Amino acid sequence: MFNYNFRWNQALNSLPQMLEGALVTIEIALLSMLIGIAVAILLTVFRLSGNRILSAIATTWVEIARNTPALFQIYMVHFGLGGFGIHLSPFLSLLIGIAFNNAGYLAENFRGALKAIPDTQARAARSLGMSAGKAFRHVVMPQMLRISFLPMTNQMVWAILMTSLGAVVAMNTDLYGVTSELNARTFRTFELFAIAAVIFYVITKAITLSARVLAARLFRY
Amino acid sequence: MKTSLLALAAVATTLAGPALADKLDDIIAAGTLRCAVVLDFPPMGSRDANNNPQGFDVDYCNDLAKSLGVTAEVVETTFPERIPALMSGSVDVAVASTSDTLERAKTVGFSIPYYAFENAVVSREGLDMANWEGMKGKTVGATAGTYEAIWLEGKVKEWGAGEFRPYQNQADVFLALSQGQLDATVSTVEVAEANVKSGNFKGIKIVDKAPMVPDYVALITLREEYGLINYMNLFINQQVRTGRYAELYKKWVGEGEPANLTIQGVYR
Repeated sequence: MFNYNFRWNQALNSLPQMLEGALVTIEIALLSMLIGIAVAILLTVFRLSGNRILSAIATTWVEIARNTPALFQIYMVHFGLGGFGIHLSPFLSLLIGIAFNNAGYLAENFRGALKAIPDTQARAARSLGMSAGKAFRHVVMPQMLRISFLPMTNQMVWAILMTSLGAVVAMNTDLYGVTSELNARTFRTFELFAIAAVIFYVITKAITLSARVLAARLFRY
Repeated sequence: MKTSLLALAAVATTLAGPALADKLDDIIAAGTLRCAVVLDFPPMGSRDANNNPQGFDVDYCNDLAKSLGVTAEVVETTFPERIPALMSGSVDVAVASTSDTLERAKTVGFSIPYYAFENAVVSREGLDMANWEGMKGKTVGATAGTYEAIWLEGKVKEWGAGEFRPYQNQADVFLALSQGQLDATVSTVEVAEANVKSGNFKGIKIVDKAPMVPDYVALITLREEYGLINYMNLFINQQVRTGRYAELYKKWVGEGEPANLTIQGVYR
């Protein structure tokens, strides 16, 4: 029981606007990944540091990021901080929310990756005269990033899909935002969201495929 | 024997033949009228202290069900969910303050207007905004998917200055406004007054009327359900004729005259 006549031409006219939205979506996802990776490395170092306060910070971050809905995290960045007079634009709220989530998940990926690296390597590096920091930077971290490369791709896909949550913080320039605004205007719900779904699919597929090609090139032994 | 079999077959076909039954028949046969109502849009739709739906739209749905001799079932929807709810058949009509734009009429079937909103500009205290034109260049927002949001976004584009933000629901708009994330919003006078009065949002105030064509809202159902649309038109006419429209206005909006639903100089 589905009472709807599809009229594709009207929806397809909006395709250029939706593709522009897709660019914003990719931009946010990429930036959130860069920030997320940087913060995740920092959190990993915090955990390795042996300093109780630093590792408590890292653990709290990871726990919140992984055990609460991303929707909640993004909402809190906008309205939670807003309550304290810190006003972030919808773009920044969404970006920070996703980056926060990314960092939590990636830190956990990195922890798993570290377990796969024998600690004799770090010790060997130290015995060659490297400082702890140098040993981490030159010996451990490159391997850690390599091992967690594919999980990172997964997170990138998640980041793309999470941009659709920006609607709760009034984001209207990303793919989902553009689509829902067109929908409010025209009520052509099913065509518009079908097109959006296809664009999302193409983006995420392109990411996983190119990551596979990249991995094959980067990580040849 | 043969004739009785034929007769049985004939009876069976008549009973099983739903081809001619339209939505109006279906509703009466089912004994239930399912209405999509937006419940974070006081005074049109909200929830009372016991979490039961209440408001102008809820009463309107109950009245419609009563006239049909069926029971009403209120299905809560958001503004963007109204159409999927109708199309998927999970509701029969939407009594949800739906603005009757021509663009939308290409997709859904509108009744005659059952209510008309005026819109107000709401700003926050401590901001120097004398009238609606003061919104130019400011950060403004409204509830995504509404008539006033579409108008306001158009204005921001026309001004070429400032920023427009569509929040997901009315509560978030006023929250953002009272936090200072927004400088102003446009909402229906009814909603604006209810929220200023409620005291839930500190430091917001009504500045001016928004200079737009009154926002006529109608009941909606599937575009091809002429039987039901016809019925709804007559029902709305009767609501006004019997004074029920004025009664509901007094109950939910307050003293004063409800908006005139006819337009001078043209047939519907």
